[in-house]
Amino acid sequence: MSNTTTHIREQVERFLPKVLKPSRYLGAEWNSIHKDWDETDVHMVFAFPDVYEVGMSHLGTRILYHLVNSLPRFACERVFAPWVDMEEKMRARGIPLYALESFRPIRDFDVLGFTLQYEMSFSNILNMLDLAGIPLRTNERGQEDPWVIAGGPCAYNPEPLAPFIDFALLGESEEQLPEVLNLVAEQKKNPVSRREFLLKVAQVQGVYVPEFYQVDYQEDGRIAGIIAEPGVPKMVEKAIVKDLDTAFFPTNPIVPYMEIVHDRMMLEVMRGCSRGCRFCQAGMIYRPVRERSPETLLRQTEELVRSTGYGEISLTSLSSGDYSCIQPVVQEIVTKYSPERVGVSLPSLRIDSFDVKLAQEVQKVRKSGLTFAPEAGTQRLRDVINKGVTEENLMEATEAAFKAGWSSIKLYFMIGLPTETQEDLEGIVHLAKNVANLGNKLGRRNVNVTVSTSSFVPKSHTPFQWEPQERQASLEAKQKYLKEKLRDRRIKYNYHDASTSFLEAVFAKGDRRLADVLEHAFRAGCRFDGWSEHFRYDVWLESFRELGIDPSFYAHRALDYDDVLPWNHLESGVKKRFLMQEHFQALQEARTLDCRHNDCTGCGVCPDRGVQIDLKG
Amino acid sequence: MLLRIAYSKLETAKYIAHLDLTRVFERAMRRAKIPMAYSEGFNPHPKIAFGSALAVAVEGEREYVDVELRQDMDIREVLGRLQEQLPSGIRLLEGSVVETGSKALMAVLNAASYLIRVPMALPIGPERLAEGMDAWLKREHIPFARYSKKGRTDKDIRPWVKRLTGSVEGDAVIVELEVEVGNSGSVRPEEVLASLRDLENLPFDLEALQIKRTGIYVHYEGQHYSPLDPDHKRGFRSEAR
Ligand code: SF4
Repeated sequence: MSNTTTHIREQVERFLPKVLKPSRYLGAEWNSIHKDWDETDVHMVFAFPDVYEVGMSHLGTRILYHLVNSLPRFACERVFAPWVDMEEKMRARGIPLYALESFRPIRDFDVLGFTLQYEMSFSNILNMLDLAGIPLRTNERGQEDPWVIAGGPCAYNPEPLAPFIDFALLGESEEQLPEVLNLVAEQKKNPVSRREFLLKVAQVQGVYVPEFYQVDYQEDGRIAGIIAEPGVPKMVEKAIVKDLDTAFFPTNPIVPYMEIVHDRMMLEVMRGCSRGCRFCQAGMIYRPVRERSPETLLRQTEELVRSTGYGEISLTSLSSGDYSCIQPVVQEIVTKYSPERVGVSLPSLRIDSFDVKLAQEVQKVRKSGLTFAPEAGTQRLRDVINKGVTEENLMEATEAAFKAGWSSIKLYFMIGLPTETQEDLEGIVHLAKNVANLGNKLGRRNVNVTVSTSSFVPKSHTPFQWEPQERQASLEAKQKYLKEKLRDRRIKYNYHDASTSFLEAVFAKGDRRLADVLEHAFRAGCRFDGWSEHFRYDVWLESFRELGIDPSFYAHRALDYDDVLPWNHLESGVKKRFLMQEHFQALQEARTLDCRHNDCTGCGVCPDRGVQIDLKG
Repeated sequence: MLLRIAYSKLETAKYIAHLDLTRVFERAMRRAKIPMAYSEGFNPHPKIAFGSALAVAVEGEREYVDVELRQDMDIREVLGRLQEQLPSGIRLLEGSVVETGSKALMAVLNAASYLIRVPMALPIGPERLAEGMDAWLKREHIPFARYSKKGRTDKDIRPWVKRLTGSVEGDAVIVELEVEVGNSGSVRPEEVLASLRDLENLPFDLEALQIKRTGIYVHYEGQHYSPLDPDHKRGFRSEAR
């Protein structure tokens, strides 16, 4: 076997000088872990279906890599989607996809775990399987092939990937994954049949084995029913970490040599967000809110600085401004580490809790633009989506920012939201201009407002899961309208490509029938769909046509509360009843308050799962 | 305190791009708790300055870096602590304190030597090799085309080449090359080999080149000085006159 790995390494080193960013493919970074193959019982390779610098920036990947390696019986290595130039060279020379740490072929591992961060990476998963020489479909694989598993937010609706994965992990994997790996170890020692093994795995909290669920369709294309085989849960419920403060967190993360997207330390201050934005999947599936204590965070900071040497630490979570101890923690880190030139950054700042002192603290070491996300142009629409910010909040926050010396402000909005009208678009223009005018009034020269719009994509497990996506032509008309109206030398307008958002909606709400389309598109050359230079919309449309599947059926149809959704049997802990109620409230333009500071709003996760909101301040 | 350090960059460390090297050193210094000096301004950056860039995948046997510290420290301690925090493949060889305000490495280093192993596509003998190299060296001007986003530029690479010898070793040629490095640029070893292949019909397989920079120097009156050697400054004085 070691012959193979030396052979791969030699071959790769021959052409490595000729590919872009060779550091992507070497795996000898600072803090990377190289375990002895023969001394470990189970070998897992963690696969991120995008390029190295994107995958290495992902916190979940960092956590699980180090978690698995922290257990003596297991070894975990990494693999990323090779960039197109590398893929071409590997294919030309017949080099299989290999794991970065050991250069061992992926095929040799026991478990190949994909993380599903966004739908547009699905074609890369098939490409990686193919490059690894692993048959795409589970029913074509043999005993020698690894278990192909998947986790991450898109695992809450992995249906388009159903025939390709043995099982999916729903929810937080800190406890669940080691349990699964123990079963794999047992299976290696005393093998039972594939079916028996999968039946055992299906008993672990949050494990979903697609082949145990039979999906039937009606004549009109809707799902008739989803039936679980005896012996597996009818409803698969996500795994939850009850006590985040004591949960595993790696303070010796890998420090890449090349620059990656988020090239800094990451400190996870809390998990979950209960602001309750109705379009946001993360805000639903990571409930309830659980915080880490300042003591834990400060200890982790010290360890991170010493083990990585990074000059920047980011306090991450879905909304770090909401962390109850944010002020003292930031203060403490700044005081203690600014002599060493370690700066603090916050990835997202809330408009309504914007604290200019905090922002200045954070910017002490580095100056950059500030980003706010009002998401919608009018109060009415912001109430529909339950984004609890007002125009006043925005003006106050930007006023404070301008006064404190900032002159660049970024504003994020969504277009195509349910109930959106012309007035809401005008609202975006109005807000952008007001912010720019305010900047001028306060004497800032070079005021610079960047407006970015993304197109609303309805996601599973949210109150808007029943909503259709707006058609591309009308989204594009809206983009054109904004482009014209925002023509102002102080304002820059960016928008996301509507056809990408359309495919994202198709797969976000898709079912198993899309698997064939995915395979067809992959075989026709689709990969890196999230990268505009590689996105081949025509090939995708051709694949749908070829297989007689109408993508519009998935993206543009308003669903009924009675419809059986493709993810009906997969649960985030937030009850369907709550999602329906929230959908109804949205249409009434009525707000639902944050359960952290007000009464429980009854989403269901706490009582059902024996967990609770855990605030430290 | 300004420190000048000699180091080697071998094995997989050769893939660390020159642009990434400052970050690699900065992080290693922070892990080692060595207090770096920073520039002023909105985006302070550490005062770390390298000599001439080493291309990706080219090994360097003796490269140099200047690092400014916020306080005086024992040089052996700095080297020892820093070495522990550097990726394998980067070895610190020696260091010395230089006067603050000394000329930057980039400004003083003006010569480099390379050792190159290039497989042959067809076997040739030593005579044929020597003949080709001699003929090449006898040329007065050797135009070479470079392509960039801006298009093609032709430049004369001959003046940069100071020494060129080769020997046959099995199915490969071992080339020793010495070039001048200046403010207006230099020549890359692979360009010299490509030119030898094209102009003198030497059957080099450029796909599988292995290049090592064996040294980079201050060249003055036929002598090579290390920038760590105080004598290296003799050249500047005479230039000034
Ligand atoms: S059950 Fe209640 S308290 Fe718990 S997350 Fe849901 S709404 Fe909040």
